Amino acid sequence: MSDAALDHIRPQRADGVIAPITEDWLAVVLGLAIFVLALAALVDTDLIGWVVTTSVWSNLGQALKATSKSYASLGGVGALIATYVALLVVLGAAAIALKSDIRRFALAFTAVFWIAYASWVIGNFAHFAAVTPADQHKFGINWSLRLTNEGGYIFALIAGLIIANVFPRFAAAIRDAVRPELYIKVAIVILGGVFAVTTAGRLGLASSLILRGVAAIVEAYLIYWAVVYFVARKWFGFNREWAAPLATGISICGVSASIAVGGAIRARPVVPVLVSSLVVIFAVVEVLILPFVAQAFLAHEPLVAGAWMGLAVKTDGAAVAAGGITESLILAKNAAVGVHYQPGWILGTAATIKVFIDIFIGIWAFVLGYIWTNHINVTRAEDKAKASEIWQRFPKFIIGFVVTFAVGLYLALGTPADIAKHVPAAIGEANTFRVIFFILTFFSIGVLSNFKALWQEGFGKLAAVYLVSLFGFVIWVGLLISWLFFSGIKPPLAS
Amino acid sequence: MSQSNIGDELRHATVEPLLPIEKKLIGWSLTIGVVLLVGLALLNHFVPVSF
Repeated sequence: MSDAALDHIRPQRADGVIAPITEDWLAVVLGLAIFVLALAALVDTDLIGWVVTTSVWSNLGQALKATSKSYASLGGVGALIATYVALLVVLGAAAIALKSDIRRFALAFTAVFWIAYASWVIGNFAHFAAVTPADQHKFGINWSLRLTNEGGYIFALIAGLIIANVFPRFAAAIRDAVRPELYIKVAIVILGGVFAVTTAGRLGLASSLILRGVAAIVEAYLIYWAVVYFVARKWFGFNREWAAPLATGISICGVSASIAVGGAIRARPVVPVLVSSLVVIFAVVEVLILPFVAQAFLAHEPLVAGAWMGLAVKTDGAAVAAGGITESLILAKNAAVGVHYQPGWILGTAATIKVFIDIFIGIWAFVLGYIWTNHINVTRAEDKAKASEIWQRFPKFIIGFVVTFAVGLYLALGTPADIAKHVPAAIGEANTFRVIFFILTFFSIGVLSNFKALWQEGFGKLAAVYLVSLFGFVIWVGLLISWLFFSGIKPPLAS
Repeated sequence: MSQSNIGDELRHATVEPLLPIEKKLIGWSLTIGVVLLVGLALLNHFVPVSF
């Protein structure tokens, strides 16, 4: 593969400077660093307990606090400032590694962090987040939207959407720190450890869920892709250069996969970039609708709902985030009738399904690249697709997810009881960072979603393919297959 | 390339008929996908979830 064909993998500055590390590897480094620092708590060294956490509030002064009691003296505002400074330093270093302008990044990240976290805090206001009558009584209120505390993600998303569509110049100004793919990949690496702790006591159920993830791969790659490609080519008249990345974005993953396939079939870089923009916008619409549909109709089948989010929402960030909101809404609805499921299973199912789908991006890109360079646009021998591209296009953050999952599982099950009992609390601190990276992801997705773009000439036809495929096929087949493989499987009850 | 150029390109693109290799790709993908899915569904039916 030529260097030009690999340019999408390594971030490149406008002046042509190519970063020495990819965003994927950076996500692995950042996620693992947070995970390892959290594990220091196992040897009575609390290194990241100062990270801020938000509770549902009716008195703003009580909304924020440090995650660990060891850092209670910081107070909520102190913990928030400490979290901001730490993320600014760490992500600033990441920006330097990605060859971004550090001064611009720092200014942009400051705006991104404070607006996104403020949205999260607002979303935790009791009138929005309190779920049960007991909660309402506790906060002295008589009504609530019952969005749960994770409804704060929706607030972050809406804040981003307002900026993108009402203040486009401000959106452009903070663009350097609007990195939903980086943020969600860091979160997914941490999520591996969190999911390990969740599943440690239920390995049989967890392995059953993972095996059922295979069905998701079959569906996304072999069924979705073929149908969407056919629709784009035959019904809408798209040429091959557009149809392949478009089918990939709609059926597999809007960003990573469409860019990988665009490179593999030697499409012009602009093609997968525009497809990605479109997919992100539709993912926003899905995140705003599907979790609430799932709460209304699938509250009695929580894992069907989780799998559905992983199958139907087509970017890593939006899929996993939709799983988080769905979990929160469904747990709340069940809690209201006295059924208390253990948290983590719905989100874990959505994330596992999406990770399983992502694992095969490199292989699918290679298959298409091989067909294109050997049978469709026959190229010179040195430009033909090579097997080495499978590894080059493999989403490396998945390695981080697997590592944290394996280490978390070992610590929870393979260590002496006096160590194992501290594992949930230690990984819980890392999980607080996971929540913050989710917030940054939601906000960033919103900022990237300029709906006006949909109305620009040319986008209408792309959007039409997406609309027909997503709402006519992808969502419903995803629901059917989720039901087929996950119905009747319930998360364990909380003890 | 600007978005208006992309718009022009998409509007005036000549139709490329499906090549035999594309038809094969679509046909084989769907066939293998449906067969595997049926197989997995049967496996799912006969190998229940262990709690």
